[in-house]
Amino acid sequence: MYKSNCKLVSSVSNIFLQCAASPNSNGSPLGLQRALCSSDVRFEPNAASTAEPARTSKDFSHIPPLPGEDSSLRWGGKKFEELPIAHIKATYNNTHIQLTDSAGQSLIRTSCGTEGFKNIKKSTPIAAQTAGIAAAAKATAKGVTFVRVLVKGLGPGRLSAIKGLTTGGLEVVSITDNTPVPHNGCRPRKARRM
Amino acid sequence: MAKHLRFLARTVMVQDGNVDTAYKTLNRLLTQDGIIETVKRKRYYEKPCRERQRKNFENCKRIYNTEMARKIAFISRTNREDPWLGC
Repeated sequence: MYKSNCKLVSSVSNIFLQCAASPNSNGSPLGLQRALCSSDVRFEPNAASTAEPARTSKDFSHIPPLPGEDSSLRWGGKKFEELPIAHIKATYNNTHIQLTDSAGQSLIRTSCGTEGFKNIKKSTPIAAQTAGIAAAAKATAKGVTFVRVLVKGLGPGRLSAIKGLTTGGLEVVSITDNTPVPHNGCRPRKARRM
Repeated sequence: MAKHLRFLARTVMVQDGNVDTAYKTLNRLLTQDGIIETVKRKRYYEKPCRERQRKNFENCKRIYNTEMARKIAFISRTNREDPWLGC
């Protein structure tokens, strides 16, 4: 790959010399413009970084209502910050679903393993969906209807666990991604050579 | 993320119960912010020599892609000002 890098560098420098000779009619190509406005810091509100319309005809905003400001949105009589939270941890080998209330007290805990799947079958979207349906069933038995979802990890059960929650009868109000991104903290394991 | 306000960043509200569009929106935002590729890359350790090679390669690819896109945009335009005006 490094040798192809060197060839690419020489070919790119050739192209660049040819293009530098011709006058630049466009200021900056479209690709650069788009990259500039989307490479923002993660912790800013997402609507600011992607410039998508926040107000549709129904006055729906993709940003959640903040605890400080008063918004009239209620789900089952509860404000956004009082809704229970469904933590979905989607690892590469398994998917865990834990339902807690807004304070953090755990209500329900299911995973692919508790649903009877073993070993490699746990790392499938179908297992995650069954875990989601089981969690939703237990939650409706406890009287939970609306829930905010917190997803952690990039595993096979990331989307299908949320689908399982909705098919099981829970109403998803918002989806948050809580995947841990280290700013170069712990050193991960060595690269696999296959 | 303990010191930051929860449910503010990387959050998408679900409209009218369609979870699929909300998830797609979330995925699009995350890829545009480069989080998905960062998470995939940090799964295994990337040695500094490999990191330098990858950065060099991405730089070259970016230059090549922008120049090619510029060329294609120029060629695919039909109404241009006359380049030989005045000759």
